[in-house]
Amino acid sequence: MMGEYADEFMEQDFQVSEQKSSSREATGKAQDVNQPVIQVENVTKIFQTPDQGRMVALENITLSIPYGEFVTVVGPSGCGKSTLLKLIAGLTPISAGRILYQGSEIQGLNTKVGYVPQESKLFPWLTLDENVAFGLDPKRYSRQEREHQVRHFINLAGLTGFEKYYPAQLSGGMSKRASIVRALAYEPPVILMDEPFGPLDAQTRMVLQDELLKIWEQKRQTIVFVTHDLVEAVALADRVVVITHRPGRIKDTIKVPMDRPRNIFEIHRQDGFDEAYGRLWNIFRHELHIGSN
Amino acid sequence: MSKDMSREETSISAASDVAAAAQAGRPFRQRSLWVALVRVGVIGGFLVLWETASGRWIEPFLISSPSRILSSTISSFQSGDLLQHSWVTFQEIGIGFPLGAFAGIAIGYWFGRSRLLAEIFEPIIIALNGIPRTALAPLFIVWLGIGIWSKVGVVFLLTFFLNFFNTYAGMRQMDQEYIDLARLMGASRWKLTFRVILPAISPYVFTGLRTSIPFSVIGAIVGEFIAATEGVGFFIRLSAGIFKTADVFAGIIVLMLMVIVMDKIADMIEKRFLRWQVQTEHVRIQG
Repeated sequence: MMGEYADEFMEQDFQVSEQKSSSREATGKAQDVNQPVIQVENVTKIFQTPDQGRMVALENITLSIPYGEFVTVVGPSGCGKSTLLKLIAGLTPISAGRILYQGSEIQGLNTKVGYVPQESKLFPWLTLDENVAFGLDPKRYSRQEREHQVRHFINLAGLTGFEKYYPAQLSGGMSKRASIVRALAYEPPVILMDEPFGPLDAQTRMVLQDELLKIWEQKRQTIVFVTHDLVEAVALADRVVVITHRPGRIKDTIKVPMDRPRNIFEIHRQDGFDEAYGRLWNIFRHELHIGSN
Repeated sequence: MSKDMSREETSISAASDVAAAAQAGRPFRQRSLWVALVRVGVIGGFLVLWETASGRWIEPFLISSPSRILSSTISSFQSGDLLQHSWVTFQEIGIGFPLGAFAGIAIGYWFGRSRLLAEIFEPIIIALNGIPRTALAPLFIVWLGIGIWSKVGVVFLLTFFLNFFNTYAGMRQMDQEYIDLARLMGASRWKLTFRVILPAISPYVFTGLRTSIPFSVIGAIVGEFIAATEGVGFFIRLSAGIFKTADVFAGIIVLMLMVIVMDKIADMIEKRFLRWQVQTEHVRIQG
């Protein structure tokens, strides 16, 4: 199976070289060699409520994400986690502050990022392979490359044989996988995931987390993953960002000291899990006003 | 390893889906045979009752009878009379319906895309929709004469509003997230329109088309009732005026056939375009 897709290492090379060239650019301008791919600087987002009031969704968020990092963002529901992703994607305007992508400020839509929404949101009128191929720009990929890319990613998602199925014919877990590889297939350097495993049952969830990590270990894109599940946050991440309830502020950032590759199914037994989870829970206990027992 | 496991699991579940569908298929087919038989029985019974009632309990010039209608339909067609009238009505619908449908869909789509346009014109269009549109038919006669163009106008009007409102409703229901996702994936304007927005609203567009089919026929007939020298509506009015009830029914049968044929064509197109929806429809039917 690996030999068949030997090309994928070249794809990886492509991505790495892109990374290098952009950091070379950076060294030309400044001494900062490890320029982060995303810099969120003092960002505030205020929503207008229907009764003409103002609701501060995010306040003074500053966050720097280096290339290849897997960041999870946790917080209670309604704390503005998803809004943060929408701001990075350029889907909603920022009220104050700015967000830099590869050193330049995001103006309008940021088409350099892939987006995996809460629900799968596969285009129901397209078959699975058409969905996965959607982001593959004919100007960037030849017909052959597109076909290869689609086949490769459908295989990666374990959906070979379902290419001509419509999303309505796929199970929840299958659509979820398809939704993720749809965002991966056109190889955006950054992928934003908005609670992608939220509505799934525990087993499917673990299987998908495991698959996501395996894919990520091959490609090493930058991933910003929003979740409200503390275990998921620790299990997947290099770094966990904790956001407080309204107004959303960054309460703390925790490095997860676990080795990779990780075994999702026995994540509790891995060195470093308890430590990171303990710290995270400590923060949340205060958030939720639960005393220590 | 776990990936292999999950793949196996998915292929098993897909296989059992297929098996379930095959099992459900057989009784379903038997059932549809029954449905067809009962349907034919109901229609046949009604025709027999009609034939018996006519002349025995009710005056034939009031309700005619199936046999009289059949023979007058055949003779009207043989004389070329009804054929000519049908052709005129067909032309009126054939011009008015596509134009009205296209304009309605295009403007509904356009309003759906532009908030400004919608804000300006929405109340106006809703107010216009409040007018019983067939009441405007005499005006069209005044404006466009008693030839086919006044009827084309009425057909256009009836078709336009139904298609407009359905398409616009579809645009309002459109899930923003699909558009956002497509744009993030770098979709061009063209791709966004034809691969995302139009397919997404197509169920609404087809609802508009399907509902406007009988109304387009109504439009043509109303126009012909008011002032015309040709057309099925004219033929019906003329026949009723001289108590040739069988001819009236012959005209009605022609109109019915027109609607059925148009609907069948629309159905075929819809089935092709909304293939991706078929699954959910089946669940609803069987439930």
